[in-house]
Amino acid sequence: MENTVVKIQDLVKRYGDLIALDHFSLEIKEGEIFGLLGPNGSGKTTTINCLLSLLSFDKGRIEIFGKEMTPVSYDIKKDIGIIMQNVAVFDELTVYENIDYFCGLYIKDKNKRKKCIDDAVKFVGLEDFVKFYPKKLSGGLLRRLNIACGIAHKPKLIILDEPTVAVDPQSRNRILEGIQELNKNGATIIYTSHYMEEVEQICTRISIMDKGKKVAEGTKDELKRMIKNTETIIIELLELPDKAYREIASLPHVYDSKFENGKLSVYCSGGKHNLTRVLEVLQKNELGFGRVYTELPTLNDVFLEITGTALRDKED
Amino acid sequence: MFMHILKYELKSGLRSKDMLIWLILFPILLGTVFKVGFGSIYEKTEKFNSIPIAVVEESENKAFRQVIENIGSAEQPFITASFTDREKAEKLLDDGEIEGIIFSGEKLRLTVKEKGLRETMLKSFVEQYSVREKIAMDAFETAPEKAQQVIESLTAETVSSCREIPVTQGNPDVYVQYFYNLIAMVAMFGCITGMTITSHRQADLSALGARSCCSPVPKSVSVLASLASSFLLQTVCMIICVTFLAFVLKVDFGDRLWLVYPTAIFGSILGVSFGFFIGSIARVNEKVKTAILMTTTMLLCFFSGLMVGNMKAVVAEKAPWFNNINPVAVISDCFYCLNIYEDYDRYFTKLITMAVTIVIFITLGIISSRRKKYASI
Ligand SMILES: Nc1ncnc2c1ncn2[C@@H]1O[C@H](COP(=O)(O)OP(=O)(O)O)[C@@H](O)[C@H]1O
Ligand SMILES: [Mg+2]
Repeated sequence: MENTVVKIQDLVKRYGDLIALDHFSLEIKEGEIFGLLGPNGSGKTTTINCLLSLLSFDKGRIEIFGKEMTPVSYDIKKDIGIIMQNVAVFDELTVYENIDYFCGLYIKDKNKRKKCIDDAVKFVGLEDFVKFYPKKLSGGLLRRLNIACGIAHKPKLIILDEPTVAVDPQSRNRILEGIQELNKNGATIIYTSHYMEEVEQICTRISIMDKGKKVAEGTKDELKRMIKNTETIIIELLELPDKAYREIASLPHVYDSKFENGKLSVYCSGGKHNLTRVLEVLQKNELGFGRVYTELPTLNDVFLEITGTALRDKED
Repeated sequence: MFMHILKYELKSGLRSKDMLIWLILFPILLGTVFKVGFGSIYEKTEKFNSIPIAVVEESENKAFRQVIENIGSAEQPFITASFTDREKAEKLLDDGEIEGIIFSGEKLRLTVKEKGLRETMLKSFVEQYSVREKIAMDAFETAPEKAQQVIESLTAETVSSCREIPVTQGNPDVYVQYFYNLIAMVAMFGCITGMTITSHRQADLSALGARSCCSPVPKSVSVLASLASSFLLQTVCMIICVTFLAFVLKVDFGDRLWLVYPTAIFGSILGVSFGFFIGSIARVNEKVKTAILMTTTMLLCFFSGLMVGNMKAVVAEKAPWFNNINPVAVISDCFYCLNIYEDYDRYFTKLITMAVTIVIFITLGIISSRRKKYASI
């Protein structure tokens, strides 16, 4: 059976009066890429810091690899790799030395370590920059170095806190692919982000957070099934008489519709032939139309429907 | 593990620009500025100016007269004496033409107007002579043919012994104080390296700290390794600084230079501990902390007389306790004691003060950085 790698039970964390985590629970199995998705300020970093025993918390229990996590759980710590949301490298050490330094905190054997560092350098694609100082690296490359420092020792559990913030698209793709590769090689991944596209792209399971609470959890398909909307049909039209509009709105499975700026949006929930039925109505009324397309629900729709606010609106 | 961290802390420290600027270039520049500024004073004070006195002979004292004349004919006379009567001598003393009157008779008596180093030297001259006079007198009676020889050795002994007493081998000039303060200041700059340690090791102070706390290396090991690296780095800086002052600028630290080095290094350990302590108790970001430390250090330097020479004396008068706890003053006093006093008592007292302060700072620093989890990051 799958082993539980991380178990967070009923975690409560307060900063003064602010409740940053409100009875938050989580269970992550071996081999998952677990996504923690939520807008800025929803408590993702706080969760990670509690998980790592950096932060004290008011209530709750945290287990990693089946053992309770404490600040002195060195046997647990040696199998964890962390990539913090802020870049943590020494400015006065080169790329290679930085990786060696952090890797050396985990692996004593010099030869073994050398191999690990070479792997890590290759993994993040910094082969041409090993002698560079961090100041000379672009934002994307710096992030990659940050990742290399966190994963060089080949940990079993890798935690990445918003590793793609302020990163160019090329580096971002490379990072996302890299994470999937690490996972293929056997690591369990916890990935936090407020970019739902990324989470959708790579995560096998996702927990959506808002204001310190878990609002939904599951695979992306499961999450999307949780909400009413299954597809949105959009048709470009020059005109739409009231009669035809009402006819469309009353079709089976259609729960909402709107006509604005020459665009008809039909929101459907379930059913199989929604598009055909809508087009039939248009033909019957002899209405010409332009482009027709359908949109599948995104995690944003999930978030929107559950919390009533769009995930996007809350971004930086 | 200790060595691994130490190695990289040293590497990173040696490449740090802050360190190069504040701990190496700055003192070299400032030292040079001092040297140039004090250059003329230095030339003047280095040569010993003989002390003008008057000798009033109350009764004949051949031996003493001979000694005084011998001294007067030396290349750099210790005293220049004029023989005159009591009234004239007193007038000369009042006018400040001379610094003391020696009445020679059965016994020697000394009159001075002020109190100071030169007066102390005169006093000791009179005392030293009186001790030796008896031996000389005996020689006159038993072997008059050897009188000249006896007088000469009497002169040499007296002069050399009383030159040594208050001033020993060191150079008492005020300007050396500035260089002592300069070394003390560089030592105190170690607080910046000391502070960086805490930032690099504490999760709530830096991302690096957070990463370090997540590693399987116990915090005690990493903190001690970093402290050790700071001590070593600071030692290197102190050696460069003292060597530069002593051998390039040729500042005269007296003939106990070999003790100036360890004293400077010890002082720098005090500096590192101070920074380590402030770093662990003040929960603000690194930039603010650096500013706090620099300001504090500069203030302490100011009170110990780095900028205004007589500041320390002012403090000694108004708030003497402050000189005992101001680390800069303690460090520079340490050098001073080394230079001025023949014995090591005061020097050791200062060293002990330093040791106690170091222990207090480090203990408090470790206690407050030992916290394992933070309430807020
Ligand atoms: N050190 C702190 N002191 C007070 N409030 C904090 C602190 N750190 C975070 N918070 C608050 O806790 C909430 C969660 O923050 P965080 O975990 O950083 O969110 P996320 O990582 O999801 O953006 C936010 O409202 C934030 O303002
Ligand atoms: Mg965050």
